[in-house]
Amino acid sequence: MKNSCGVWSGGCLAAIAILTTTAVGAARPQPPFAVDPNPSTYQPLPRADTLIINAIVLDGAGRRIDNGEVLMRDGRIAAVGHGLERRNATVIDASGRWVTPGIVDVHTHNGTFSMPQTSLDRESSDVSETSDPNAADTWIEHAVNPQDPSFAAALQSGVTTVQILPGSTPLFAGRSVVLKPIPAVDVQSMKFPGAPQGLKMSCGENAKSYFGEKHEKPNSRQGEIAIVREAFAQAQEYRAEWRAYSRGSIKKPPPRDLKLDTLAAVLDDDIPVHVHCYRAADMAVMLGVAQEFGFHITAFHHAVEAYKIPALLKRSGTCIAVWSDWWGFKVELLDAIRENAAMVDAAGGCVMMHSDSGVVGQRLAIEAAKAAAAGRRAGFSLPPEHVITWVTSTPARALRLGERIGTLAPGFNADVVIWSGDPFSIYSQADQVYVDGALAYDRAAPERARRADFDLGRPEVGEQP
Amino acid sequence: MNRVWLMVLASLSAATVHAEAVAIVHATAWTLTSDQPTKDATIVIDKGRIVAVAAGAAPPAGARVVDAGGRPVTPGLMHAASQLGLIEVSSATETVDHSAKLAVPGAGFDIETAINQNSLLIQLARTDGLTRAVSYPGASPVPPFGGMGVLLHLVEGGDMIERARVGVFASVSGRTAAASVGSRAAQWQLLRTALETAKATLAAPATPAPRPPDVQALEPVLGGKIPLAISTNRESDLREAVKLARDFNIRVVVIGAAQGWRVADELAAAKVAVILDPMANLPISFDELGVRLDNAALLRKAGVTIAMALQGVQGYNAGSSLREGAGLAVAHGLPYVEGLRSIISAPAQIWGVADRYGTIAPGLDADLVVWDGDPLEPSSLATTVFIDGREVPLVTHQSELRDRYLPRVEAARAAGTQ
Repeated sequence: MKNSCGVWSGGCLAAIAILTTTAVGAARPQPPFAVDPNPSTYQPLPRADTLIINAIVLDGAGRRIDNGEVLMRDGRIAAVGHGLERRNATVIDASGRWVTPGIVDVHTHNGTFSMPQTSLDRESSDVSETSDPNAADTWIEHAVNPQDPSFAAALQSGVTTVQILPGSTPLFAGRSVVLKPIPAVDVQSMKFPGAPQGLKMSCGENAKSYFGEKHEKPNSRQGEIAIVREAFAQAQEYRAEWRAYSRGSIKKPPPRDLKLDTLAAVLDDDIPVHVHCYRAADMAVMLGVAQEFGFHITAFHHAVEAYKIPALLKRSGTCIAVWSDWWGFKVELLDAIRENAAMVDAAGGCVMMHSDSGVVGQRLAIEAAKAAAAGRRAGFSLPPEHVITWVTSTPARALRLGERIGTLAPGFNADVVIWSGDPFSIYSQADQVYVDGALAYDRAAPERARRADFDLGRPEVGEQP
Repeated sequence: MNRVWLMVLASLSAATVHAEAVAIVHATAWTLTSDQPTKDATIVIDKGRIVAVAAGAAPPAGARVVDAGGRPVTPGLMHAASQLGLIEVSSATETVDHSAKLAVPGAGFDIETAINQNSLLIQLARTDGLTRAVSYPGASPVPPFGGMGVLLHLVEGGDMIERARVGVFASVSGRTAAASVGSRAAQWQLLRTALETAKATLAAPATPAPRPPDVQALEPVLGGKIPLAISTNRESDLREAVKLARDFNIRVVVIGAAQGWRVADELAAAKVAVILDPMANLPISFDELGVRLDNAALLRKAGVTIAMALQGVQGYNAGSSLREGAGLAVAHGLPYVEGLRSIISAPAQIWGVADRYGTIAPGLDADLVVWDGDPLEPSSLATTVFIDGREVPLVTHQSELRDRYLPRVEAARAAGTQ
């Protein structure tokens, strides 16, 4: 399944690019910045056409349909509405229950934050490569352990798409990967087909304190930004040289640089940028850097002070991915408020909830519920059909999958959750979770859920003695 | 003239200490003396105490009336094992006071004098309906002991220390082992040796020199007056905790108990109470393999007294995280009223304050919260909080920030429609 050239061989990557481009004849060799040498081998689970009836449907795009129906055919949403033709579909009566698109979590460390944690992980965690503040050459997919129990926990909570981001210690933390949290042995078969990678960046306290303590660069905020600007300046040159080579104005491409590949892909807008950033001032500075070098920041993650700069965020078309109520554990989080999401939303900004934690990732709808409750108390109107967009269609768009997932509409992937009740209630649970039309989890048949390899034969993980 | 002045002074001081008489009317009162709420309850409070609670009663003349409009009213919440007042910004070590680095006094390390009553975490927790908490020390250089915890009554602007030295805290785990003395067997041995040494010292004729701090700390543990609280998770360690309780005839409380569901009957028989994390269902460590969301339900069903404590980041939301956690436990089989008890009356029992707090009954402290919905729903909020009979203003660092920046929302929205 792995490419025989080896993932780390830059020459091999270039060779693939040249081969694929020369195959079309007249085209000159194209840059390899965003070529995926190990594309998805995902295969949908066995599935049957299914019609859900009598449900309260939140379509993920702002619509609520009471007593609604959702028809899944061949892994896609065929129709949403009333009185749909069932033909050969299995009919599920969801009376009293709610139906939403599968939850999309744009910020997890599943598969890299090892469980159980051991002393090994304290010194050499797979969450991020911390030997250099610029780890733009690292791809988190090379670290993901598909056996991590967080994946099954996410799926059983209604999550059908996750982005694994590298951690925020480096300024350029590396490329993300978008996965389906289904049982798998290798990461390639979990990869969301065709989903672009992202770039994780960070600003603020993390990098400067981690590297500063080691008496390395950066040890200040200005030092961080200097490194970021210098790297993008180099990436501009690298990209220009590649373009010159592709045009035929120079004979040789520039020497392969895996870090600059990633940044050049950002400048080409082939890789969306996700920036870990808390303070309003830091976010404003990063938007300035993006403007200077001509790239777009898809989302600020955590963004606890976003409510201080709603107009700026709206103008720059940058989303925020936030918790409902985490605050205070770092100095740069002291001004976090629970109305953050609702205030940015009310200003017309783009808002989504994220988890950053395998525990929170099991309750993203509750995160949204809490953030919405704080918003309602501050006077904003936040009906459930709108709030659900924070964990469905909006994060789907941030992953550039907004035309494929996150909304229940004809042609979209049939990623669907039937909730036992209002998904914003703590008492509700995901009853059935469909991924591409396949019943990937059924709470009524827990024995069918695949147990992790790690759990097999372990007395502690069994039934009550 | 003098007399008038004195009267004014007297009334002022009464007002600052206990405020006026208040009647909360039309409450759905979860008194927790019953498994069912009292509908249309009138709760009268005066001089910091609950005076009466009865269905449909008329408010006494002169009392300020708070109309709950049918919404739920509970006693204030209690965090059974927090670090409130000991951690402000966890990444800024100068604001972290939970652990001693000196080898002495070990078990006798008393956290009382470190409590910061102006902590923003306490301010927020109070507006979230938390009115009491036990704060406890982290690891000390004398493993497995941390030191002694303190019971806080989260009154505004006053002395929050309700009772110091409410328990001796220790920790036994694989992680502790790596950082300190090695094998968990060594940790248990040190714990037993400390108890035996204290017992022998206390039995010996008194000497003029004061007893060592750890012996002083363990005296009330050995006398059954305060519990020994052990943070531990693995089944073998839970069984060891049960044995310790039997062998020394002491009260043991376990914090964590990830695998508690496997020894629920043994814990119940030994009257070992458990303070657990209701959100834990992932094996963060080898000690926590098999941790599950129905741990609370299974332990309670077996008769174990359970309380909730969510640590780490959730410690910043000491009030709201308790409600969410208890709600989650209810979603996974814990009876609803037991969910409420696990964050109110059960911690009161565990920490020996149930004679003053934990139910809505005449004579108890007037720590009461009016909720805008089901208190175990995370999206519900406290609308009125009384602590010691005084209504707490719902003003926090966060609410002032919100109010300062709300106008920017309108401005940004308007900019978009131009």
